[in-house]
Amino acid sequence: MDALLEIKNLNIAFRQGKGFSQVVSGAGFSVQPGEIVSLVGESGSGKSITALSILGLLSRQGKVTGGEILFEGKNLLTLSEQELDQVRGRKIAMIFQDIMYSLNPVFTIGSQMTEGMRRHLGYAKEKAWQEGVRLLQRTGIRDAERVMKKYPHMLSGGMRQRVMIAMALSCQPRLLIADEPTTALDVTIQYQIMQLLRSLRDETGMSILLITHDIGVVAEMADRVVVMYAGQCVEEADTKTLLSHPAHAYTKALLQAVPGLHDERSRRLYSIPGFVPQVYGDLTGCRFASRCPFGESCPGRNNEQMLLCAPGHLSRCVWGEGGGAA
Amino acid sequence: MSQQPVLEVRKLRKDYRITGENSLIARTFPAVKEASFSVFPGETFGIVGESGCGKSTVARLVMCLEKPTAGEILFHGQRIDSLPERERRRLRPRFQMVFQDSGSSLNPRKRVEDILREPMLYHGMGSFKQVDARVEELLSMVGLPSDMKRRYPHEFSGGQRQRICIARALSLTPDLVVLDEPVSALDVSVQAQILNLLRDLQEKLKLTYIFIGHGLGAVHYISHRIAVMYMGKIVEMGPSDELFDHPAHPYTRSLLDAAPSADFAGRGRKRVALRGEVDEQAAEGACPLCPRCPCQTAECQRFSGALSPVPGRQDHVSACLKAWEE
Repeated sequence: MDALLEIKNLNIAFRQGKGFSQVVSGAGFSVQPGEIVSLVGESGSGKSITALSILGLLSRQGKVTGGEILFEGKNLLTLSEQELDQVRGRKIAMIFQDIMYSLNPVFTIGSQMTEGMRRHLGYAKEKAWQEGVRLLQRTGIRDAERVMKKYPHMLSGGMRQRVMIAMALSCQPRLLIADEPTTALDVTIQYQIMQLLRSLRDETGMSILLITHDIGVVAEMADRVVVMYAGQCVEEADTKTLLSHPAHAYTKALLQAVPGLHDERSRRLYSIPGFVPQVYGDLTGCRFASRCPFGESCPGRNNEQMLLCAPGHLSRCVWGEGGGAA
Repeated sequence: MSQQPVLEVRKLRKDYRITGENSLIARTFPAVKEASFSVFPGETFGIVGESGCGKSTVARLVMCLEKPTAGEILFHGQRIDSLPERERRRLRPRFQMVFQDSGSSLNPRKRVEDILREPMLYHGMGSFKQVDARVEELLSMVGLPSDMKRRYPHEFSGGQRQRICIARALSLTPDLVVLDEPVSALDVSVQAQILNLLRDLQEKLKLTYIFIGHGLGAVHYISHRIAVMYMGKIVEMGPSDELFDHPAHPYTRSLLDAAPSADFAGRGRKRVALRGEVDEQAAEGACPLCPRCPCQTAECQRFSGALSPVPGRQDHVSACLKAWEE
């Protein structure tokens, strides 16, 4: 099966002072049709930037300095703005974390819902409206007709996120990029949204690239996981393998730092010393080395590559066996 | 627990006047309808709930940052809600608060040493020189190198800033520290550092905490007893492990079930899910969860939503007619 999306050796740099500083280096992963792939990492790991670059949405401060983003075999980086417009919103849709600012406050939900369909699919106003109502109902909004006439500020956070999802789905995209879609929501609503996204995937067969920092969301949603740290992909595996047999010292530490609901309370939570480096473009070798429990003695501290641990399981670190971050 | 409580809260209520979505006529909105609890020396009392449930309002009321509409707040047996400001100020050093957003709760134009010095000088904790020595002691206590004291808040990461806020709260050697979502804005690895720091400090300084949060794992990890709030009311309260392992109220149960667990095996487990969203117009004096509850019965319609002991359990109260059964 050909991958729907394939990112190869992606480099992204942001303007800093007079020069550029690299924020994503050599990122690479793929998304198969119908698959939910999760990009997970802490803030500053480059996961959102990677997602934005797929749609050519980087701000003027940033630019892609190398690599390829292949979508259905075409390199999105070489497309013109006009050609990209045919992909954006039509074949690849995105929902953003910031539900407050992602809807236009001066237009009704209805006019924002129908815009994409009228433009991309050439629907007449009436048809687009009906389709909009149907989509809102599909995402679990009961009085969809009334919501279509409302303005964004009249809706709760959960409702706005449902509207965002309905909008993203309006042109039946092949790929949905969801950037922290539930981070701003309460847990009970988060659960409803996660269920919704999964069932929509099952129904439409679209792929989802889910960006999150929450290991719990990954465990619930993803088929495959890519862990990012300091601008690099550091580990990639199917969800079950990654959660039960992580190879990279960072992944291990991250999993142990999450307090579970039924953990022994006397157990001390593992905490990673230090914090995520803010500038890391010039680091060589293992970027986690300064915080790693193996530190200087690690034989892999000069490693620059993803290594194959098992079929479908890649990691930049294979040395933490046994001890791990414990 | 036969000790005298550090803090006792009786039938606390807070109404706000707000203007509604469809009308400009002000109405009263009860942010906290009824909350009664006691916090004992050396323990951590956790309050969990979703946004809008009134947990932060409780924190602000306890800190006397807002005046309650009704009810009493007793600190070491003394009413503090009705004290004149001047006398309350004398008590202030003994109860302090740490806010969620460390960025906006530190004055950006002051150096860390000034931020930490100010409360101590105000409350006459010694000469300038003594206070200065104490600043270094405080910084090392929260794990920051003392040469950082000349820096400004923006030069720190979120986790470091939260450490400064904790140091400031501890500078006056309080008995009670109210922590309002202190780790919600932090990355997982840093969150673990702060939670461990709080636990160490509690042990060392014999502190009493009120820990407010919506991250269930974090609240469970740090709290000895937990109260669950829903729509301005405490719906369940009990020892942490007891509450999480044997939730008696359907809301607690659905909160726990909705929380994504970092465990792959948890996927597909049977869960209790609530319908829809919080209904702010729900009638007062009834069970607030009723419209969303998965197990409502005819009797529920007439139930007042009062807390009562869970049969056969210790220190465990719940506001549900029937203790939850599988």
